[in-house]
Amino acid sequence: MESKGIHVVVDPSKCVGCNICELWCSYEHEGVFSRSLSRISVITYERLGFDYPVVCQQCEPAPCVELCPTGALSKGKLGEVNLDKGKCIGCRVCSEVCPYGAARMEPREARYPLICDLCGGEPMCVARCPTNALSLSKVTNVKVKPRNAAEAFAISELRKLADEWGVDVDEA
Amino acid sequence: MTRLKGYGGKVLRVDLTHRTYRAEELDPSLAKAFIGGRGLNAYRLYWEVPPGVDPLGPENKLMIATGPLVGFPHGLGSRLNVTSRSPLTGLLGDSNAGTHFSEEMKFAGYDQIIIEGRSERPVYLYITESGVEFMDAEGLWGFTVSQTHEAIRHELGDQRVQVGAVGPAAENLVKFAGVFFNVYRAAGRTGMGTVLASKNVKAIAVRGDGYIEAENVDELIKVIDEMLRRIYENPQYWPRRIMGTSRVLMAGQRLGFLPGRHFQDPVVDYAYDVSGERLAREYNVKVRACSAGCALPCARFFMIKRGPLAGLMGEGPEYEPLGGFTVRVGNRDLDRALKIILKVADYGMDAITTSEVIAWLMELRQRGEITDEEAGVKLEWGNPDTIEELVDMIAYRRGIGKVLAEGVKRASEMLNRGKDIAFHVKGLEMIQADPRALKGYGLGFAVASRGADHLRSEPFVEVEDDPELGKKMFGEPEAAMRLGVKGKGKLINYFEDLNAIVDSFESCKNTAENMLILDFDMAARAYTAITGIHVTESEMREAGMRIVNIERAYLVREGVRRSHDRLPKRFLEEPLRSGPAKGHVIELDVMLDEYYDVRGWTRDGVPRRSTLLRLGLKEVAMDLEARGIKLED
Ligand code: SF4
Ligand code: SF4
Ligand code: SF4
Repeated sequence: MESKGIHVVVDPSKCVGCNICELWCSYEHEGVFSRSLSRISVITYERLGFDYPVVCQQCEPAPCVELCPTGALSKGKLGEVNLDKGKCIGCRVCSEVCPYGAARMEPREARYPLICDLCGGEPMCVARCPTNALSLSKVTNVKVKPRNAAEAFAISELRKLADEWGVDVDEA
Repeated sequence: MTRLKGYGGKVLRVDLTHRTYRAEELDPSLAKAFIGGRGLNAYRLYWEVPPGVDPLGPENKLMIATGPLVGFPHGLGSRLNVTSRSPLTGLLGDSNAGTHFSEEMKFAGYDQIIIEGRSERPVYLYITESGVEFMDAEGLWGFTVSQTHEAIRHELGDQRVQVGAVGPAAENLVKFAGVFFNVYRAAGRTGMGTVLASKNVKAIAVRGDGYIEAENVDELIKVIDEMLRRIYENPQYWPRRIMGTSRVLMAGQRLGFLPGRHFQDPVVDYAYDVSGERLAREYNVKVRACSAGCALPCARFFMIKRGPLAGLMGEGPEYEPLGGFTVRVGNRDLDRALKIILKVADYGMDAITTSEVIAWLMELRQRGEITDEEAGVKLEWGNPDTIEELVDMIAYRRGIGKVLAEGVKRASEMLNRGKDIAFHVKGLEMIQADPRALKGYGLGFAVASRGADHLRSEPFVEVEDDPELGKKMFGEPEAAMRLGVKGKGKLINYFEDLNAIVDSFESCKNTAENMLILDFDMAARAYTAITGIHVTESEMREAGMRIVNIERAYLVREGVRRSHDRLPKRFLEEPLRSGPAKGHVIELDVMLDEYYDVRGWTRDGVPRRSTLLRLGLKEVAMDLEARGIKLED
């Protein structure tokens, strides 16, 4: 269930917990402002000064899509998960199988799941985040050729950071 | 009544005595007249908490309110006001905090929560869209603020639950205990936490899954984008984002307004050692936003990386606690100051008042009016052990802490010593700025409706020292010069009105007011777009005046007049001893006359009948007259 497609990537060192991504996501999809109707949800631990926006990783293959009993979920052109509200029966399977807890049920009547659809390729949350904590990655694949042990070490250490940007670094 | 767009739509009344609650519709005409937040609370306080009510008795009420911008992604932060009759001053109590509690209560559908009566046993309230649960808090009594947060989120099994809690100081009825939200965000001033604890309420928890809409969302988005552009273009953006309010310490050194050793030293030789600049370079590890919708996150998260306190971490500190536990008490040790600041917050006390009572005691010792034996601690300027011990003694009312826990005014009366150096106005202790070097601020302290405090007016333009600006804004060059006197009445009138609006929208003053993002025009446009009720720029200013005037009427009804709009003698009579404003005192009376005249109040500080009528406060005028207060025309 590794993400291989485009998805919203998070840099937790930059996220300040302002909920702006959530409010815009909710507006984009539901036409109203709400934290609970957002597809991205920020978890905060004040005593660590820590904020993390949890959002769909667009897994490939995606357990939610695979296990949805009515075929309401499908993968789109970008690899994003799309929901056909007409087919959804609110059975909660997707929300239970999501390994990231990124597919919450709509809170009021739990009629359908809130799963990130990448806003058709132009994510509102990414555009509106005031600190650039969010970005939209294609999985860019960069090949590098380390010439010595020091470079190889530096690259292996930097891989984690690159990963947060959605960049795969491979040694050629 | 249909729900007014942009509002939660409901006012929640909780009766602790009978363990009942009811949700009333928010009256749209009230929402238009008083906007929300501080304005709505001031209105309720005036009409529902009459003179004579014991601040710590069951008849006192405590209000929490949010405002019309809260819950939109506007960039100005989301705040709330906690208002009640103050146990510290016996007058209007009101405190504002930036917190996620604010948007959460709105998403639960409430613009205002009114807490009445007294619970027989300790409880915490769990508030959701479906109502209020009275949860047992017997086991939480004695917990600190952070422990309470953790325990409640654990019990409710929900990390998103927003909590406002009181600490042990409030339980022990320390008169200046606050309500603390999101662990670190304090509605600290005027003892609002003490009121809550007196009602046997340990905390309020809220969670809301609802939503809000705007009447004209396209126009609102235009307004939001314009405000964001103004924020990002402002030269204060980066300094504020890196240092938040902690940057004020070095500004105080530069302009000579620091409260060094209880307002004896306006500049100190160790300012950098305890500054926001040093925190940014050596301590800060992350930036945070205090609340939803903030595009200028200024709440820093720090960690002490070296020395015996290595590993200590937390949010902040803001300038007020920072200045309070360093220069005001003469302490050069930043690490120890940080530890003390966290402790004061975890006990749930107002950092400003706490720093004043400690500094006051130290000056008493300096003057030889108290001995170490009597105080029970070694009273020595800047000794961190002493400061920390006094903080413990106050929170748990031990020894001299019992006296200090009453606030500086009553403490000086109880000991019958140091009344001349008890630095408060109307019973509320002064902030970390010397008004002899900031005269407009000084006037603001004198007239502020909750006592000595800058946040009612925050006339930051005088710090610009720009005569042209003063002429442009107020027709008086001195209005925008910090050592000037003429035009200060106009200056304070303007910014008091503006801050009443900012506080009622529940936006952040750092952006909305200090960077002039939400001026009257922008506020009117935002309000119109959100609600669909057309409001003009001048009507917005009038709403600000209305709020200021109803607060004043509350004070006048309690007997407050010009003689209460006083600053302590040191500022009026003793010239500053050093720094750029050396030799200055503050010429309060001249400024007061101008202030009252512009306000439409008599020179004794009473609103004229015509002023109240013009602002639609006829009932208030009638109420005052029915109580034998003669109003002039
Ligand atoms: S908008 Fe950006 S900074 Fe704000 S909560 Fe979302 S990810 Fe974090
Ligand atoms: S909803 Fe969960 S399981 Fe489905 S694709 Fe997204 S992250 Fe994967
Ligand atoms: S990309 Fe769009 S749908 Fe996905 S979380 Fe961001 S705003 Fe929501």
